[in-house]
Amino acid sequence: MATNTLSTEKKFIWGGGKSPFSVSYGKLMMWIFLLSDAFTFSSLLIAYGFIRYSFQSPIPNTIVKPLAHVGHDFVEQMKQAGLFVQDHWPSPELVFNHFPFIHGLHLPLFFVSLMTFILIFSSVTMVLAVEAGHRMAKDEVSKYMLLTIIGGAMFLGCQAWEWTTFIGEGARLYGNPYGPRSFAALFFIVTGFHGFHVFSGVVLNVIIYINVLNGTYEKRGHYEMVEKVGLYWHFVDLVWVFVFTFFYLI
Amino acid sequence: MEHTEHLEHTETPKDMKSQIWKTFWILFAFTIIDIVLYFILLSYHSMIKNWLFIFLGVVKAYYIVGIFMHMKFEKKALMYSIIIPMVFVLFFIALMILEGDYTNILRWIK
Repeated sequence: MATNTLSTEKKFIWGGGKSPFSVSYGKLMMWIFLLSDAFTFSSLLIAYGFIRYSFQSPIPNTIVKPLAHVGHDFVEQMKQAGLFVQDHWPSPELVFNHFPFIHGLHLPLFFVSLMTFILIFSSVTMVLAVEAGHRMAKDEVSKYMLLTIIGGAMFLGCQAWEWTTFIGEGARLYGNPYGPRSFAALFFIVTGFHGFHVFSGVVLNVIIYINVLNGTYEKRGHYEMVEKVGLYWHFVDLVWVFVFTFFYLI
Repeated sequence: MEHTEHLEHTETPKDMKSQIWKTFWILFAFTIIDIVLYFILLSYHSMIKNWLFIFLGVVKAYYIVGIFMHMKFEKKALMYSIIIPMVFVLFFIALMILEGDYTNILRWIK
Protein backbone atom coordinates (compact mmCIF):
# COMPACT_ATOMS: atom_id res chain seq x y z
CA MET A 1 0.00 0.00 0.00
CA ALA A 2 2.88 2.35 0.85
CA THR A 3 4.55 1.98 -2.55
CA ASN A 4 1.17 2.33 -4.25
CA THR A 5 0.39 5.69 -2.64
CA LEU A 6 3.95 6.89 -3.28
CA SER A 7 3.58 6.20 -7.00
CA THR A 8 0.19 7.93 -7.10
CA GLU A 9 1.67 10.92 -5.25
CA LYS A 10 4.37 11.09 -7.93
CA LYS A 11 1.65 11.41 -10.56
CA PHE A 12 0.30 14.58 -9.02
CA ILE A 13 3.64 16.35 -9.02
CA TRP A 14 4.34 18.03 -12.32
CA GLY A 15 7.68 17.93 -14.19
CA GLY A 16 9.33 20.64 -12.13
CA GLY A 17 8.82 18.91 -8.81
CA LYS A 18 5.94 21.12 -7.69
CA SER A 19 2.17 20.99 -8.09
CA PRO A 20 0.79 24.41 -9.06
CA PHE A 21 -2.36 25.27 -7.08
CA SER A 22 -1.83 21.88 -5.35
CA VAL A 23 -3.84 20.12 -8.05
CA SER A 24 -2.88 17.54 -10.61
CA TYR A 25 -2.09 18.51 -14.19
CA GLY A 26 -5.27 16.92 -15.58
CA LYS A 27 -7.52 18.72 -13.12
CA LEU A 28 -5.99 22.15 -13.74
CA MET A 29 -6.22 21.67 -17.49
CA MET A 30 -9.88 20.70 -17.14
CA TRP A 31 -10.50 23.92 -15.17
CA ILE A 32 -8.77 25.99 -17.85
CA PHE A 33 -10.76 24.26 -20.57
CA LEU A 34 -13.98 24.99 -18.66
CA LEU A 35 -12.97 28.64 -18.40
CA SER A 36 -12.46 28.82 -22.17
CA ASP A 37 -15.77 27.06 -22.79
CA ALA A 38 -17.43 29.51 -20.42
CA PHE A 39 -16.10 32.34 -22.61
CA THR A 40 -17.67 30.71 -25.68
CA PHE A 41 -21.06 30.38 -24.00
CA SER A 42 -20.75 33.89 -22.63
CA SER A 43 -20.22 35.26 -26.14
CA LEU A 44 -23.58 33.73 -27.11
CA LEU A 45 -25.27 35.16 -24.01
CA ILE A 46 -23.69 38.58 -24.60
CA ALA A 47 -25.12 38.55 -28.12
CA TYR A 48 -28.46 37.42 -26.70
CA GLY A 49 -28.50 40.29 -24.20
CA PHE A 50 -27.91 42.86 -26.90
CA ILE A 51 -30.29 41.42 -29.51
CA ARG A 52 -33.06 40.82 -26.99
CA TYR A 53 -33.00 44.43 -25.84
CA SER A 54 -32.77 45.80 -29.36
CA PHE A 55 -36.44 44.84 -29.65
CA GLN A 56 -39.39 46.20 -27.73
CA SER A 57 -40.16 44.57 -24.41
CA PRO A 58 -42.74 41.74 -24.44
CA ILE A 59 -46.36 42.84 -24.52
CA PRO A 60 -47.82 41.99 -21.11
CA ASN A 61 -50.17 39.02 -21.17
CA THR A 62 -53.47 39.45 -19.38
CA ILE A 63 -55.53 37.02 -21.43
CA VAL A 64 -54.14 33.57 -20.76
CA LYS A 65 -54.00 32.38 -17.18
CA PRO A 66 -51.87 29.40 -16.01
CA LEU A 67 -53.67 26.04 -16.29
CA ALA A 68 -56.17 27.61 -18.69
CA HIS A 69 -57.43 25.56 -21.59
CA VAL A 70 -55.73 26.35 -24.91
CA GLY A 71 -56.67 25.10 -28.35
CA HIS A 72 -54.53 23.71 -31.16
CA ASP A 73 -54.40 27.11 -32.79
CA PHE A 74 -52.94 28.83 -29.73
CA VAL A 75 -50.18 30.47 -31.78
CA GLU A 76 -52.74 31.82 -34.26
CA GLN A 77 -54.89 33.10 -31.40
CA MET A 78 -51.91 34.92 -29.90
CA LYS A 79 -51.16 36.49 -33.27
CA GLN A 80 -54.79 37.64 -33.53
CA ALA A 81 -54.68 38.99 -29.98
CA GLY A 82 -51.62 41.02 -30.92
CA LEU A 83 -49.33 39.28 -28.44
CA PHE A 84 -47.06 37.73 -31.10
CA VAL A 85 -45.82 40.64 -33.22
CA GLN A 86 -42.70 41.23 -35.27
CA ASP A 87 -41.22 44.13 -33.35
CA HIS A 88 -41.86 42.96 -29.78
CA TRP A 89 -39.85 40.21 -28.14
CA PRO A 90 -42.36 37.46 -27.25
CA SER A 91 -43.26 36.81 -23.65
CA PRO A 92 -41.50 33.54 -22.68
CA GLU A 93 -44.47 32.26 -20.70
CA LEU A 94 -46.61 32.35 -23.84
CA VAL A 95 -44.07 30.46 -25.93
CA PHE A 96 -42.81 27.83 -23.49
CA ASN A 97 -46.15 26.56 -22.27
CA HIS A 98 -46.36 22.93 -23.37
CA PHE A 99 -45.73 19.71 -21.50
CA PRO A 100 -45.31 16.16 -22.85
CA PHE A 101 -48.45 14.02 -22.79
CA ILE A 102 -50.57 16.96 -21.59
CA HIS A 103 -52.36 18.64 -24.48
CA GLY A 104 -54.48 21.73 -24.40
CA LEU A 105 -53.32 23.20 -21.09
CA HIS A 106 -51.38 26.43 -20.64
CA LEU A 107 -48.47 25.36 -18.44
CA PRO A 108 -46.03 28.27 -18.55
CA LEU A 109 -42.40 27.36 -17.87
CA PHE A 110 -43.41 24.04 -16.22
CA PHE A 111 -41.42 21.88 -18.61
CA VAL A 112 -38.24 23.93 -18.46
CA SER A 113 -38.41 23.85 -14.65
CA LEU A 114 -38.58 20.07 -14.85
CA MET A 115 -35.55 20.06 -17.15
CA THR A 116 -33.64 22.26 -14.71
CA PHE A 117 -34.53 19.94 -11.85
CA ILE A 118 -33.39 16.86 -13.83
CA LEU A 119 -30.03 18.45 -14.60
CA ILE A 120 -29.45 19.68 -11.05
CA PHE A 121 -30.32 16.23 -9.72
CA SER A 122 -27.90 14.57 -12.14
CA SER A 123 -25.25 17.00 -10.86
CA VAL A 124 -25.99 15.82 -7.32
CA THR A 125 -25.57 12.16 -8.28
CA MET A 126 -22.33 13.11 -10.05
CA VAL A 127 -20.84 14.77 -6.98
CA LEU A 128 -21.97 11.81 -4.86
CA ALA A 129 -20.03 9.58 -7.29
CA VAL A 130 -16.95 11.78 -6.82
CA GLU A 131 -17.35 11.63 -3.04
CA ALA A 132 -17.64 7.82 -3.17
CA GLY A 133 -14.51 7.80 -5.34
CA HIS A 134 -12.57 9.52 -2.55
CA ARG A 135 -13.48 6.56 -0.34
CA MET A 136 -12.54 4.08 -3.11
CA ALA A 137 -16.08 2.64 -2.93
CA LYS A 138 -16.31 1.14 -6.43
CA ASP A 139 -19.94 -0.05 -6.26
CA GLU A 140 -21.23 3.32 -5.04
CA VAL A 141 -19.27 5.16 -7.72
CA SER A 142 -20.76 3.01 -10.49
CA LYS A 143 -24.28 3.34 -9.05
CA TYR A 144 -24.14 7.13 -8.94
CA MET A 145 -22.47 7.42 -12.35
CA LEU A 146 -25.24 5.32 -13.88
CA LEU A 147 -27.84 7.64 -12.34
CA THR A 148 -25.97 10.64 -13.74
CA ILE A 149 -25.92 9.12 -17.23
CA ILE A 150 -29.65 8.41 -17.02
CA GLY A 151 -30.31 11.98 -15.86
CA GLY A 152 -28.27 13.38 -18.75
CA ALA A 153 -30.07 11.18 -21.25
CA MET A 154 -33.44 12.29 -19.83
CA PHE A 155 -32.44 15.93 -20.22
CA LEU A 156 -31.44 15.32 -23.84
CA GLY A 157 -34.76 13.61 -24.50
CA CYS A 158 -36.62 16.57 -22.97
CA GLN A 159 -34.67 19.05 -25.07
CA ALA A 160 -35.32 17.01 -28.21
CA TRP A 161 -39.06 17.03 -27.44
CA GLU A 162 -38.95 20.79 -26.88
CA TRP A 163 -37.22 21.33 -30.23
CA THR A 164 -39.69 19.05 -32.01
CA THR A 165 -42.62 21.00 -30.58
CA PHE A 166 -41.20 24.33 -31.71
CA ILE A 167 -40.24 23.14 -35.17
CA GLY A 168 -43.78 21.74 -35.41
CA GLU A 169 -45.19 25.17 -34.58
CA GLY A 170 -43.11 26.74 -37.33
CA ALA A 171 -40.01 27.97 -35.54
CA ARG A 172 -36.94 27.99 -37.79
CA LEU A 173 -33.55 29.62 -37.84
CA TYR A 174 -34.86 32.11 -40.38
CA GLY A 175 -38.21 32.89 -38.84
CA ASN A 176 -40.81 31.97 -36.25
CA PRO A 177 -44.46 32.72 -35.52
CA TYR A 178 -43.83 34.20 -32.06
CA GLY A 179 -42.08 37.43 -32.94
CA PRO A 180 -38.71 38.67 -34.26
CA ARG A 181 -36.66 36.31 -36.38
CA SER A 182 -33.79 36.27 -33.88
CA PHE A 183 -35.95 34.72 -31.17
CA ALA A 184 -36.05 31.15 -32.46
CA ALA A 185 -32.63 31.47 -34.10
CA LEU A 186 -31.01 32.36 -30.77
CA PHE A 187 -33.04 29.71 -28.97
CA PHE A 188 -31.93 26.92 -31.29
CA ILE A 189 -28.30 28.03 -31.38
CA VAL A 190 -27.88 28.48 -27.62
CA THR A 191 -29.85 25.41 -26.53
CA GLY A 192 -28.32 23.42 -29.40
CA PHE A 193 -24.79 24.31 -28.39
CA HIS A 194 -25.62 23.49 -24.78
CA GLY A 195 -27.35 20.26 -25.79
CA PHE A 196 -24.23 19.29 -27.72
CA HIS A 197 -22.24 19.75 -24.52
CA VAL A 198 -24.72 17.63 -22.58
CA PHE A 199 -24.42 14.94 -25.24
CA SER A 200 -20.63 14.91 -25.14
CA GLY A 201 -20.85 14.91 -21.34
CA VAL A 202 -23.05 11.83 -21.42
CA VAL A 203 -20.64 10.12 -23.83
CA LEU A 204 -17.68 10.92 -21.54
CA ASN A 205 -19.63 9.70 -18.52
CA VAL A 206 -20.41 6.41 -20.27
CA ILE A 207 -16.72 5.87 -21.07
CA ILE A 208 -15.69 6.61 -17.47
CA TYR A 209 -18.56 4.45 -16.17
CA ILE A 210 -17.28 1.49 -18.19
CA ASN A 211 -13.79 2.15 -16.84
CA VAL A 212 -15.13 2.20 -13.28
CA LEU A 213 -16.89 -1.13 -13.84
CA ASN A 214 -13.69 -2.63 -15.26
CA GLY A 215 -11.76 -1.60 -12.15
CA THR A 216 -9.34 0.69 -14.03
CA TYR A 217 -9.37 3.25 -11.22
CA GLU A 218 -9.08 0.66 -8.46
CA LYS A 219 -5.85 -0.43 -10.15
CA ARG A 220 -4.74 3.17 -10.54
CA GLY A 221 -5.31 3.84 -6.87
CA HIS A 222 -7.47 6.93 -7.26
CA TYR A 223 -10.74 8.02 -8.84
CA GLU A 224 -9.50 11.36 -10.08
CA MET A 225 -10.84 10.77 -13.58
CA VAL A 226 -14.34 10.64 -12.12
CA GLU A 227 -13.64 13.98 -10.48
CA LYS A 228 -12.42 15.54 -13.74
CA VAL A 229 -15.39 14.33 -15.74
CA GLY A 230 -17.55 15.52 -12.83
CA LEU A 231 -16.14 19.03 -13.25
CA TYR A 232 -17.23 18.99 -16.89
CA TRP A 233 -20.70 17.77 -15.94
CA HIS A 234 -21.15 20.48 -13.31
CA PHE A 235 -20.03 23.05 -15.85
CA VAL A 236 -22.79 21.83 -18.21
CA ASP A 237 -25.28 22.22 -15.35
CA LEU A 238 -23.97 25.69 -14.53
CA VAL A 239 -24.33 26.84 -18.13
CA TRP A 240 -27.90 25.56 -18.13
CA VAL A 241 -28.65 27.61 -14.98
CA PHE A 242 -27.55 30.74 -16.84
CA VAL A 243 -29.23 29.83 -20.13
CA PHE A 244 -32.42 29.21 -18.15
CA THR A 245 -32.06 32.55 -16.35
CA PHE A 246 -31.33 34.59 -19.46
CA PHE A 247 -33.57 32.90 -21.96
CA TYR A 248 -36.64 32.14 -19.95
CA LEU A 249 -36.64 34.78 -17.24
CA ILE A 250 -35.00 37.90 -18.71
CA MET B 1 9.26 12.40 -0.34
CA GLU B 2 9.02 10.77 3.07
CA HIS B 3 5.59 12.09 3.99
CA THR B 4 2.57 10.95 1.95
CA GLU B 5 1.02 14.30 1.25
CA HIS B 6 -2.30 14.28 -0.58
CA LEU B 7 -1.82 16.65 -3.46
CA GLU B 8 -4.70 15.80 -5.75
CA HIS B 9 -7.18 17.88 -3.81
CA THR B 10 -7.07 20.12 -0.79
CA GLU B 11 -9.07 19.20 2.31
CA THR B 12 -12.49 17.61 1.88
CA PRO B 13 -14.73 18.15 4.91
CA LYS B 14 -15.82 15.09 6.88
CA ASP B 15 -19.53 15.81 6.37
CA MET B 16 -19.24 16.19 2.57
CA LYS B 17 -22.26 14.00 1.86
CA SER B 18 -24.63 16.05 4.03
CA GLN B 19 -23.23 19.25 2.52
CA ILE B 20 -24.00 17.86 -0.93
CA TRP B 21 -27.63 17.14 -0.07
CA LYS B 22 -28.03 20.48 1.69
CA THR B 23 -26.72 22.21 -1.43
CA PHE B 24 -29.18 20.26 -3.59
CA TRP B 25 -32.12 21.50 -1.52
CA ILE B 26 -30.76 25.06 -1.62
CA LEU B 27 -30.48 24.93 -5.43
CA PHE B 28 -33.96 23.41 -5.68
CA ALA B 29 -35.38 26.16 -3.45
CA PHE B 30 -33.72 28.91 -5.49
CA THR B 31 -35.09 27.46 -8.74
CA ILE B 32 -38.58 27.50 -7.25
CA ILE B 33 -38.02 31.08 -6.06
CA ASP B 34 -36.94 31.99 -9.61
CA ILE B 35 -40.16 30.68 -11.15
CA VAL B 36 -42.43 32.12 -8.48
CA LEU B 37 -40.77 35.54 -8.69
CA TYR B 38 -41.10 35.49 -12.48
CA PHE B 39 -44.85 35.19 -12.23
CA ILE B 40 -45.28 37.61 -9.34
CA LEU B 41 -43.22 40.28 -11.11
CA LEU B 42 -44.72 39.61 -14.55
CA SER B 43 -46.53 42.93 -14.72
CA TYR B 44 -43.48 44.99 -13.76
CA HIS B 45 -41.04 45.98 -16.50
CA SER B 46 -38.07 47.47 -14.69
CA MET B 47 -34.39 46.69 -15.09
CA ILE B 48 -34.30 45.83 -11.37
CA LYS B 49 -36.20 42.64 -12.20
CA ASN B 50 -33.33 41.58 -14.48
CA TRP B 51 -30.68 42.34 -11.87
CA LEU B 52 -32.67 40.25 -9.40
CA PHE B 53 -32.73 37.23 -11.73
CA ILE B 54 -29.04 37.61 -12.54
CA PHE B 55 -28.31 37.82 -8.81
CA LEU B 56 -30.27 34.61 -8.14
CA GLY B 57 -28.33 32.94 -10.98
CA VAL B 58 -25.04 34.02 -9.42
CA VAL B 59 -26.14 32.64 -6.03
CA LYS B 60 -26.87 29.28 -7.66
CA ALA B 61 -23.51 29.47 -9.45
CA TYR B 62 -21.80 30.05 -6.09
CA TYR B 63 -23.19 26.78 -4.75
CA ILE B 64 -22.56 24.74 -7.91
CA VAL B 65 -18.98 25.98 -8.35
CA GLY B 66 -18.18 26.14 -4.64
CA ILE B 67 -19.55 22.84 -3.37
CA PHE B 68 -20.21 20.60 -6.39
CA MET B 69 -17.05 21.59 -8.23
CA HIS B 70 -15.17 21.67 -4.96
CA MET B 71 -13.86 25.19 -5.56
CA LYS B 72 -14.52 26.30 -1.97
CA PHE B 73 -11.94 23.80 -0.78
CA GLU B 74 -9.27 24.47 -3.38
CA LYS B 75 -6.37 26.88 -3.13
CA LYS B 76 -7.50 30.53 -3.25
CA ALA B 77 -5.26 31.23 -6.24
CA LEU B 78 -7.08 28.67 -8.37
CA MET B 79 -10.43 30.04 -7.23
CA TYR B 80 -9.52 33.60 -8.21
CA SER B 81 -8.05 32.54 -11.59
CA ILE B 82 -11.43 31.14 -12.56
CA ILE B 83 -13.83 33.51 -10.80
CA ILE B 84 -12.32 36.90 -11.65
CA PRO B 85 -12.48 36.53 -15.48
CA MET B 86 -16.08 35.37 -15.14
CA VAL B 87 -16.95 38.47 -13.10
CA PHE B 88 -15.80 40.59 -16.02
CA VAL B 89 -17.73 38.44 -18.48
CA LEU B 90 -20.90 38.72 -16.39
CA PHE B 91 -20.42 42.48 -16.40
CA PHE B 92 -20.12 42.34 -20.20
CA ILE B 93 -23.45 40.49 -20.48
CA ALA B 94 -25.13 43.01 -18.20
CA LEU B 95 -23.62 45.88 -20.19
CA MET B 96 -24.95 44.51 -23.48
CA ILE B 97 -28.40 44.19 -21.97
CA LEU B 98 -28.23 47.87 -21.12
CA GLU B 99 -26.79 48.92 -24.49
CA GLY B 100 -29.29 46.96 -26.60
CA ASP B 101 -31.63 49.87 -26.12
CA TYR B 102 -29.51 51.93 -28.52
CA THR B 103 -30.37 49.72 -31.50
CA ASN B 104 -33.99 49.77 -30.39
CA ILE B 105 -34.05 53.56 -30.50
CA LEU B 106 -32.31 53.59 -33.89
CA ARG B 107 -35.03 51.32 -35.25
CA TRP B 108 -37.68 53.84 -34.20
CA ILE B 109 -35.82 56.77 -35.70
CA LYS B 110 -35.70 55.00 -39.06
